[in-house]
Amino acid sequence: STRGAAEVLHAAPKYALRCGLEIHTQLNTRNKLFSLSTNDPFQAAATPNYHTSFFDISLPGTQPRLNYEAVLYAIKLSLALDCRVNLKSQFDRKHYFYGDQPLGYQITQHYNPIAKDGKLCLYGAYDNIPEDEKTIGIIQLQLEQDTGRSLYKDTDGMTLIDLNRSNVPLVEMVTQPDFTDVKQVRAFVKKYQNLVRHLNISTGDLETGAMRVDVNMSVNGHARVELKNLPNTSSITNAIRYEYQRQVDIIRSGQADKMLKDVETRGWTGSATIKLRSKESTIDYRYMPDPEIPVLLLEPEVVHRVATALPELPDQTLRKLMAEPYNLSLKDAKILTTNSNSHGNFYTHHDLRNYFMKTFQLFTAKTGASNSKLPANWIIHELLGIINKLEIPLPKILQLLPASHFAEFLALIHDNELSKSSAKLLLFHIINDFKESHCSNLALPDFRLLIEQYNLNPLNEVEEHALTELCQYVLRELNDDALVADLVSGKKKNALKFLLGKGMRLSQGKVDPALLEGAFKSVLGIKW
Amino acid sequence: MKRALERLRQLPRANERFNIFNSVNLSAAQQVMPSEKPLGNLVVGIKDNIVTKKLPTTCSSGVLAGYMSPYDATVVELLDEAGAVTAGKTNMDEFGMGSGGIHSFFGPTLNPAFPERPTVAGGSSSGSAAAVAAGVVDFALGTDTGGSVRMPAAYTSTVGFKPSYGRVSRHGVIAYAQSLDTVGIGARDVGLVRRVFEVLDRHDPKDPTSLPDELRQQAAALRREKKHLKIGIPAELLHGSVAAEIRERLLVVLDKLQAQGHELYPVSVPAVKNSLLVYYMLAPAEAASNLARYDGIRYGCRDEDLDMSDEVLFAPTRGKFGKEVKNRIVLGNYNLCSGAFKNNYMKAQKLRVELINQFDSIFAFENICTGNKPNPAGVDVLLSLTCMAPPPSLEAFTSKENKSPVNSYINDVFTVPMSLAGLPCISVPLAGMKGVGIQLTAQFADDYGLLDAAEDVMQEQLN
Repeated sequence: STRGAAEVLHAAPKYALRCGLEIHTQLNTRNKLFSLSTNDPFQAAATPNYHTSFFDISLPGTQPRLNYEAVLYAIKLSLALDCRVNLKSQFDRKHYFYGDQPLGYQITQHYNPIAKDGKLCLYGAYDNIPEDEKTIGIIQLQLEQDTGRSLYKDTDGMTLIDLNRSNVPLVEMVTQPDFTDVKQVRAFVKKYQNLVRHLNISTGDLETGAMRVDVNMSVNGHARVELKNLPNTSSITNAIRYEYQRQVDIIRSGQADKMLKDVETRGWTGSATIKLRSKESTIDYRYMPDPEIPVLLLEPEVVHRVATALPELPDQTLRKLMAEPYNLSLKDAKILTTNSNSHGNFYTHHDLRNYFMKTFQLFTAKTGASNSKLPANWIIHELLGIINKLEIPLPKILQLLPASHFAEFLALIHDNELSKSSAKLLLFHIINDFKESHCSNLALPDFRLLIEQYNLNPLNEVEEHALTELCQYVLRELNDDALVADLVSGKKKNALKFLLGKGMRLSQGKVDPALLEGAFKSVLGIKW
Repeated sequence: MKRALERLRQLPRANERFNIFNSVNLSAAQQVMPSEKPLGNLVVGIKDNIVTKKLPTTCSSGVLAGYMSPYDATVVELLDEAGAVTAGKTNMDEFGMGSGGIHSFFGPTLNPAFPERPTVAGGSSSGSAAAVAAGVVDFALGTDTGGSVRMPAAYTSTVGFKPSYGRVSRHGVIAYAQSLDTVGIGARDVGLVRRVFEVLDRHDPKDPTSLPDELRQQAAALRREKKHLKIGIPAELLHGSVAAEIRERLLVVLDKLQAQGHELYPVSVPAVKNSLLVYYMLAPAEAASNLARYDGIRYGCRDEDLDMSDEVLFAPTRGKFGKEVKNRIVLGNYNLCSGAFKNNYMKAQKLRVELINQFDSIFAFENICTGNKPNPAGVDVLLSLTCMAPPPSLEAFTSKENKSPVNSYINDVFTVPMSLAGLPCISVPLAGMKGVGIQLTAQFADDYGLLDAAEDVMQEQLN
């Protein structure tokens, strides 16, 4: 079973796993790799073969024209993966026949890829791996065309072909076989995914196929098995675990020399790996340098400028956020550096982080508080909670509450001019009003005026300790141990209403009844 | 106008006799009208591997039978704009593969210069040359990968010009071997070839191998008009197997040129002897790759029953390629096999560079692409023959080729070196010797210098 295999992975180091990844990533450039068609392989699913130029369908006489935006994106990724960018790379043809491969070959980079020799470091502290640090070597990055898509219709034996995806730019990244544990694989895939999203060069989604992971693995140096068709992270890890167990079983049974002799390609059914191709059916791709796409020559200056313009990488940002003056927890820092998903979010980690940093800076300048937790707590927890609850996108909130304004709001809390509980209510109220105005009322809220208006001044407000005192006073005055005992046991629950009434009268109605009820319960230790 | 209409009137009979056209523009006569344009009312035949919206484009292949392109090739657009009237699409060796003009889905083209017996017109631009020779067009477009414009020009005693690689757009020209393919021009005289070239000679952003404007300007700046030429005679192209009669005619021409003050020099380009090997290593490899797209799915012909045989996809459909195309696909794929690639293909590329370097060392004109230093004492043009002998009869050619396809590959021996080096090259008729051409070659991008020289050589021969 899968669980069994997972245990074996840790329990039986005498079956050493060696694993490498090949990741195909669709670049979200405006146009395709060698034509001016729109690069939109998924949105146009309802209109097959819509985004196709004469070149994309391989009409006779058409020629490829390289899209330099794809080159730029590939350089960004190469640099972020610490690769050596080749100043002279070229495109090659990889030949094989398939219905959704209109040229009869794929244009890729076989002999001279755009980048080589990089690495991505995984850290115990950030990436949830057992080791403190693990470096995964990158062999190369190559630019290539995606194929079209075949839709098999079993009913009438027809295959439908959609070439919207044909000629969409891909980067194929190949790692060294440096992985020794499935946790490292999972961490790498997540980290790489976050990286391409962070660089804004791909949606990085596994589900849509914008990112596709193939696994090469072997156990104890036997022949390599390639795992394909792994549509999400759990398939990747489950397939590796299953395949590891399968190979360990073969080795244990003494059949490795026979059954793990030749390279093999296997697919994942969701519960088992199955053989797709073996060595005998391997295709000779007859690689040939493309005779008409000019050699891709890059000036060192170009690479240097891309490097300079590269955004700070997620690990650097994490490190920065977890150190002085921010001192964020790993969890909070990750919220500000990781895109959990590219769809349906009301914010990007990038916008949220900028908002946080700006607010932090202004708040610090205003209050002199050097390493307060207030900005983190209020932005990552309170504000984000409200955004998700009210379903308002962050950019709208930024119009209502610019960082300077939010810093002012936090300063009021910091200076005890506004209690935390009131501040929560106030913030929600302001944003909810804004939502009800259909985000049209852009007048900056005047916090002091609102505090006055709603009587939220802590002088008029009963703080927690004051509430406790109030309860104790009511109980002392009442001096009825039997009633209190029945109330606490739950026999006379209504007695609480009686106590509340007394308390509200004493406070002249300035206390939130819900808060007072809570206070009574905690003072009396009521469990029901 | 009168001449254009007269040519079009003669076309059907000539076509019936020599099998020149794969498709004919039936409204050509209506398109003849008063025109001030640079090529106004000149009738043109377009090789059937150059795509046209109004006429089918088949490459003389069953695989593309009836194919209509949704766009015009850049050269077709340029000719339209210049006022030329398209007579039709000319017959050719299938996908440009052949030197006799016999490997066509539509049957062989016959040579109008030899009306007395069925004679090959040369290939692969057989119909283009035949159309010019038969007088049914003013000029024709062909394509030249290893001699496909020059060889038929020689065989039909017309003029055939292969410009420098990259000077004329290949956008819309169906690829045989892109690293060698060029669009060439055939006509009866060099002057008209020049007029057409001036229309087509421009950068095309749609063609990734089109020579950029900066380099065109650089080449123009290097140009010097010369009254007396330094003419090199390459030793490697003086074959012992050339008939004495042809040698004598050639010597007469050389004497005349010398008498006019031109200087003759023996030169040597040793790498020329590798040319055929290099060419037949590279061109079929590129061809095998380029022809992989013909699977019958999106256009062209498709096998009605099967899409697969012996688990090979599209094999029945691709079985519709002709014999010579199949030979070259097999040869090309063999050259690309992982086992053979490094020893054959890569080696051939190295030898190709060596050949270019050797050419650079004998020309006075600088090669604007390689950066090699020119030879200040070098020659302006090279002079050689285009073919070893006049065209064989259809029967002789066919029987020789049936013995071994290599026999017809050898025909390319004089024309292939210039293709490998991308040099501009022109074949003009050898006076007094029907069906044989003199081939002049200039340095890369010195196309206008070459045309000047060709006009001189044509003129001197008449004197």
